[in-house]
Amino acid sequence: MSSSSSPRGFALSSRLVHWVMAVLILAMLGLGLFIAHSSTTHYVTLLHLHLITGVSLLVLVIVRLLNRFVVPTPELPTDLTTPMRLGAIGAHLALYGLMIAQPLVGWAMLSAGGYPITLGGSVTLPPLIAPDPALWANLRQLHTILAYSFIAVILLHIVAALFHGLIRRDHVLSSMVSGK
Amino acid sequence: MSQTSSSRLLRWGCVLLPPALLAAGFAWAAGLFSPHRLSTARFMTVLENGGGAAPGFRRAHSKGLCVLGQFDASGAMTAYSSASVFSQSHIPVTGRLALAPPFPHIVDGPGIVRSMALRLQPDHAQEWRTTMNDPPLQPMRDIQDAFASFSANQRDPVTHKPDPRLAKAYEAARPWLKTAYAANRAHVMSSDFANDTFNSLDSFQVTNAQGENHTVRWSMVPLSPPDAPVRPEDAHDPNVLFTHAIASLHQQPLRWNLVVTIANPSDPVNDPSQPWAPTDRTITAGTLTLHSSASEDNSPCGGMVFDPTILPSGLSLSGDPLPALRSAVYMRSFVKRSGEAKDPSSITPAMTQPH
Repeated sequence: MSSSSSPRGFALSSRLVHWVMAVLILAMLGLGLFIAHSSTTHYVTLLHLHLITGVSLLVLVIVRLLNRFVVPTPELPTDLTTPMRLGAIGAHLALYGLMIAQPLVGWAMLSAGGYPITLGGSVTLPPLIAPDPALWANLRQLHTILAYSFIAVILLHIVAALFHGLIRRDHVLSSMVSGK
Repeated sequence: MSQTSSSRLLRWGCVLLPPALLAAGFAWAAGLFSPHRLSTARFMTVLENGGGAAPGFRRAHSKGLCVLGQFDASGAMTAYSSASVFSQSHIPVTGRLALAPPFPHIVDGPGIVRSMALRLQPDHAQEWRTTMNDPPLQPMRDIQDAFASFSANQRDPVTHKPDPRLAKAYEAARPWLKTAYAANRAHVMSSDFANDTFNSLDSFQVTNAQGENHTVRWSMVPLSPPDAPVRPEDAHDPNVLFTHAIASLHQQPLRWNLVVTIANPSDPVNDPSQPWAPTDRTITAGTLTLHSSASEDNSPCGGMVFDPTILPSGLSLSGDPLPALRSAVYMRSFVKRSGEAKDPSSITPAMTQPH
């Protein structure tokens, strides 16, 4: 039951922003875990890379949301069971929520800790909130919790995508890979 | 097994293998396959085992006093660095004078390493945070040394004291630290915070407007050190160093010159345990004036971190391995203590009031 307004595959702009963000988010989560779990002389460089990527991802998620409202997206297969349909909707809402929340929590967390946020040279991000040590401790913990949640939902997302492509053999995987 | 069921198995494998590999990659990043990897968490554990891990207090340099003042640049460093802190006057300073051990209620005494941490916040320009200690050299050259050194300071679970044999073994196993130990043993401790010299220990890089780089270390050298009047009550004052600092600040501002040493090409710039040539050029970059003190219980210096990698443009990290470690460990300590209920500090707000 695909209506005339919903295409079979994702538009090029949607696929581009999906895959660029996918690569950056995976790199970001891996980098974050590595920084948090190793003592290295490259700590400051890696953390700066983490910051720059986080800011890029915040910009990209805004582009992605605008794109989502402008460009039509394909519908889920009509023969999906209700739990699968709800799972798909829930997982995508979670992914969008995490894509928006995680960089903002990072920004707010550094602000609450009183850390200046230097992007490069003398370019700095203004603090999102005023310094507050207790809030800093909570937001830092939240940043970790969101990162692990993000990893869990991404793994689920990949299993589901491959399940659609290789087991169900419907159009869901190809709609994001080839756009067909 | 039929053709279809084996191909079905293969397809399920293709569904599950990529996410499994990805999960393994994340597990590797988180150190699950490398239990011996040094991590901030392991540093925190050895630091906490070395002290009481007193809730709410810094995990090192735990006993301290907040100080307020200003920095006035001489302008002499502008040839080497474009950082605003080297060209402006009346730069507001928030700082902290502390004793290095991880005990917030340690009794003041001679021979305990003292530190000075500063945050310089120029108007409309990037801030600079720096931490300095009073020994001339650092008895560790890299992250591995630092971990071994803190591990050697851990308290025995039975005696609650560090085992002196561990410290001896640490030193004996590291002939490259001979110079540092000799210099630190020969170092004569001053009577007070006010007349102490504090050293950056680590090296940093300065960059001027032309883009030329130099590696530097710096020291805060006291100006006209006041005589320490020894009073009868001093002998019984467990906070004698802080009491003196507070009293001095009530009488007059305390001043230090920021003296920057410019490395020559043969100096071991990436090894904080080695001295530089005594003939190196030094620049008096400006004067620090401290005019008041406050307890860390009611001053912003308690709830902030003196991360030495917070540097303004024109000042950056060198190849010295230790500032990166400090940044990571201080952040972890800052997170932990900020989420804990804290007992009153030894230096209370009442003690910093004029009598």
